[in-house]
Formats: sequence, C-alpha cells, structure tokens
Amino acid sequence: MQDRLLPYWLLVPAFIIVLATTIYPLAYSFITSFRAWDLTKSRRPEGFVGIDNYIYAASESQFLNSLWVTFIFVITSVALTVVLAMALALLLRRKGPMHTFTRIILILPFAMSPALIGVSYRFMFNPEFGVLANGLGAVFPALQGVPWLADPQLAMGILVLTDVWHWTPYMTFMCLGGLASIPRETEEAARIDGASNLRIVFGIILPQMRGVILVMAVLKTIFALKMFDQVVTLTGGGPGTSTETLAYFIFNVGFRWFDMGYASALAWILTAIMMFISIWYVRMLLSERKMATA
Amino acid sequence: MKKTLAYLGERALLTLISVVLLFPIAWMFLTAFKQPRDAYSLSLNFEPTLQNFVTVFSDPWNLGSMVMNSVIVATVTVLIAVPCAALAAYSFSRFRVKGRKFLFFLILSTQFIPAVVIVLPFFLMFRQLDMLDTRLALIIVNLAIVTPFVIWMIKGFIDAIPTDSEEAAMIDGASRLRVIKDIVMPMAAPGIMTSSIFCFILTWNEFLFALILSRRDAVTLPVGLVSFRTERGDLWELMSAAGVMITVPIFIMALFIQKHFTRGMTAGAVK
Repeated sequence: MQDRLLPYWLLVPAFIIVLATTIYPLAYSFITSFRAWDLTKSRRPEGFVGIDNYIYAASESQFLNSLWVTFIFVITSVALTVVLAMALALLLRRKGPMHTFTRIILILPFAMSPALIGVSYRFMFNPEFGVLANGLGAVFPALQGVPWLADPQLAMGILVLTDVWHWTPYMTFMCLGGLASIPRETEEAARIDGASNLRIVFGIILPQMRGVILVMAVLKTIFALKMFDQVVTLTGGGPGTSTETLAYFIFNVGFRWFDMGYASALAWILTAIMMFISIWYVRMLLSERKMATA
Repeated sequence: MKKTLAYLGERALLTLISVVLLFPIAWMFLTAFKQPRDAYSLSLNFEPTLQNFVTVFSDPWNLGSMVMNSVIVATVTVLIAVPCAALAAYSFSRFRVKGRKFLFFLILSTQFIPAVVIVLPFFLMFRQLDMLDTRLALIIVNLAIVTPFVIWMIKGFIDAIPTDSEEAAMIDGASRLRVIKDIVMPMAAPGIMTSSIFCFILTWNEFLFALILSRRDAVTLPVGLVSFRTERGDLWELMSAAGVMITVPIFIMALFIQKHFTRGMTAGAVK
C-alpha cells in the first residue's frame, strides 16, 4: 500500500518547489498583464483593462524594436554557436595532448559569469585603453580608432561575440557526446575507400548528428531569447536602443518605469514565444527517442 | 609533406582556439594585479600589486559581504534543490506513474520560462512582505531556475544505473526507501555531485534576480560588479579584482567536474 503511493510522494517536494516558484508567479503575472498598475502611483493593482496592454504593445515602437533586436541576436548567435561548436567538436574528438588541453579549458568560458563576461569585453573594446580595440587597430590599420561599442552594428556584433564565446564550449561538449555515440565503422570503411575528409563529414557524420544539432539549435535559441546579463554590463542596451533585447526592455518597463501591467504583458509575450519553442522541443525529443528505441 | 602540413595546421588551429578561449580571462587576471596607471596602459611590463584586492575588500566596496551573500545563497539553494530533485528524478526514472509524462513535460517546460517573467510577481510579493534585499528572497527565486534543471540532469545519471541490484535487494525484503538510500544514491553520487556543482555555478553566476531583488544588504558578486561603474568612470582594475574573486572558486569547481560534465550534459540533453 505504502509502496504504491511512493512514486508520488517522491515527486512531492520537487513539485511543491516548482509550483510555488514558477507556476504561481506565472499565474500572478498573467493576471497582472490584464490590469493597469503604475507602481509609482499605487501600491495595489488598479483596475482591469482587458487586453489593452497587449494592444498597446503591438503598436509601440520600442517594443517592436526590442523584438527586432532579439530576432537578429537570436539568429546570428544561434547560427554561429552551432556551426563553431560542431567544427570544434570534429577537431577535438581526436586524441592528442593539445586536444585534451583544449577540451579541458573549454569549460572555463562556460563557467564564467555572463555579467562578468560583459564587463571584461567592455574593457577590452574600450577605444582608449582596450586591449582588443588597440590590438586590432595595430594589426589592421583600417580598424584604428573604431568606436566599437558606440556603433550600433558593432555593439551588436560584440554582444553576439560575448554570447558565442560563452556558449560555444557547452555546445561543443554536446557535440562531442553526440559524436562519441556514432558508430565508427561506416566512417572507417569510407576512409579505406578513399573518401575525402570533407565528404566523410558532410556525407556520413553530419547526417547522423541531425538529432544532436537540432537539440542544440533549439536549446541555444531558448537561451538566446533570454539574453539579459551582457546587455546590462556590456552595452546598457545602447547605443540608443540598438542592443535592447526583449528581456532588457521588459526589465526597463518593470523596474525603471514601474509599469507592472505593461511589463507583465510583455513578459507573457516572451513566455508565449518560448513556450511555443519548448513544446516543439519536447515533442521533438520524445519522437527522437522513439526512433532510437525502435 | 602534405601530412606534416596538415599536422602543423591542426596544431596552429588548436593554439589559436586556446588563445581565444583563455585571452579574455588572462587579461582580467593581469589587470587585477596592475596598479591603476598600468591598468590603462597595454604594457605587460608592470609591477604586480595586491592593492586592488585590499581596496575591494575595504570600504566603500566591501566585497567581503558580497562574497558571503553569494556563498550563502548558492549553498542553501543547492542544499534545498538537489535532495528534492534527486527524489523526483528517481521517481521519474524508475516508475511509470499516471500522469508521469505530463508532469515531466511540465517540469521541463518551466525550465524555459524567462526569468524576467518570474521576477516581476516575486518583486511585488517580496515588497509586500518586506523581504526585498534579503538572501532568503534570492534563494527562493533561484530555486525556480535550478530545480527543473537538476531534476533533468540527475534523471540522466539515474537512468544510466542498471536496476539489477535494486531488484535483488527488494527480493531480499528491503523497502524501496532503503533501496534508494543504500543502493541508488551511493551509485548516483558522482552524478549528484556533478549536478550540485552545476547548480552552484548557475546560482553563483545568477544576475537578473539579484539585480532586481537586492539593493545593499543582499547584493551578490555579479551585481557587485556594476557598482565599480562610478561617476569617475569605470574602475577597471577593481572590477578585474572582483572578477577574479567571482571566477576562481567557480573555475576550480568546473575543472573538478569537467570529466563528468560532458557525460551529464549529453545524458541530460539528448535523452
């Protein structure tokens, strides 16, 4: 009798945590998203305004700008991270002391606090005494005196760079794990038949890595959609609003302008985007697993 | 000839990759030991000093209290999240309970909810309860991010443990709880350790919650970095010293779990 209920009892503590720390706040902000609530004027929520907050968002240029910024950021950082991680994993799966060393230090950028990464890149790209700004200027005279973080496109580029630097190692670990599970026979047979390296990679390895690459791309998309830390410490959303991601914009609306209703609505728009991707992701995982066990 | 070229090329490439990975970290470490005037020059020829570390630990920066906050918040979060997650992970891994798929799906999905959504209601709630700027507030919110992740990771490790010895013990009359305590948990220990450290790193580096929910008393290290941005400009040498303090403990832990980490990651993510 006791044993029959045990599986449920084991789930209870974790479930209480998830319920209290995620489900409840989600419901709370969902309700708030239909209210007017200016925290500077009122301690308590004001009246319900229906979907006004959402309608307002659809026409507000700063929100639309942050959506666009997030879109550009997600596309570039996901594409770069996935391609680099795959290439790095193909290089690092071989044996050798330098390979091992690189594999070991690979964990360091991933373990570094993203806020700190933002700070340190800001320092390195400082036009006056930044080591990268000066170093690049010395090697490529065309880049001398470039105001890196004061230029909208370059600032976005550096933001992407910090994110790629941070996430590529993690994704490389995933690729290495995937590569290790591919049987080597086909590859060796092809090599004996005289196939070139390029053909082996594109014809044999990558097709078998399809599942891992998909998982990586979706995971990275979800992480990139949340981009916040480096925006604060690297660019502050600037210059202008050129690097103002959705998460950063919501933070501004909620905690600089204290418009709780609007911030909640925006947060729910972001949640909806992420939920859509997550559901698709979990579905995909389940079907991949079915394929693997079949 | 072609082979040596390829070999040299590969070595050059690996060197380049290592430089790209290590340079930003190395530069921060160097800057942390520079005097202010050297920090603003690019020279590698400088007289190293520990003054920056002395400065950040004294008034008005008081990095010591931030270190305390970070240590307490991360440790308590791990101590709450990991045992709860381990039990849930075992249940998910071994039993086919009703609604299991839905529950697991629910927990997996919450992992993808943006932190900024969760923090809004918590900010309002803690404000009402007068709990803003406390460590407890940060611990509660961090649990939201960490718990689903750890369930997922530990489940991957428990899945990999064969069930034979559990079944044998049960036939001998051991209760399920006993089996969990005496057989499964010891076997899953390396995985649980890895997950704990991973969870510690996540909490230690957490920025958004701490930025919003702390002002003065509960400020953690990553948020403390922002305070080195003053009217006099950014104090890079002090930021770097603080950066070293954030980074060193985490690097030691990360290198410690490096081997298990690769396996845990792939087990968790692909399965």
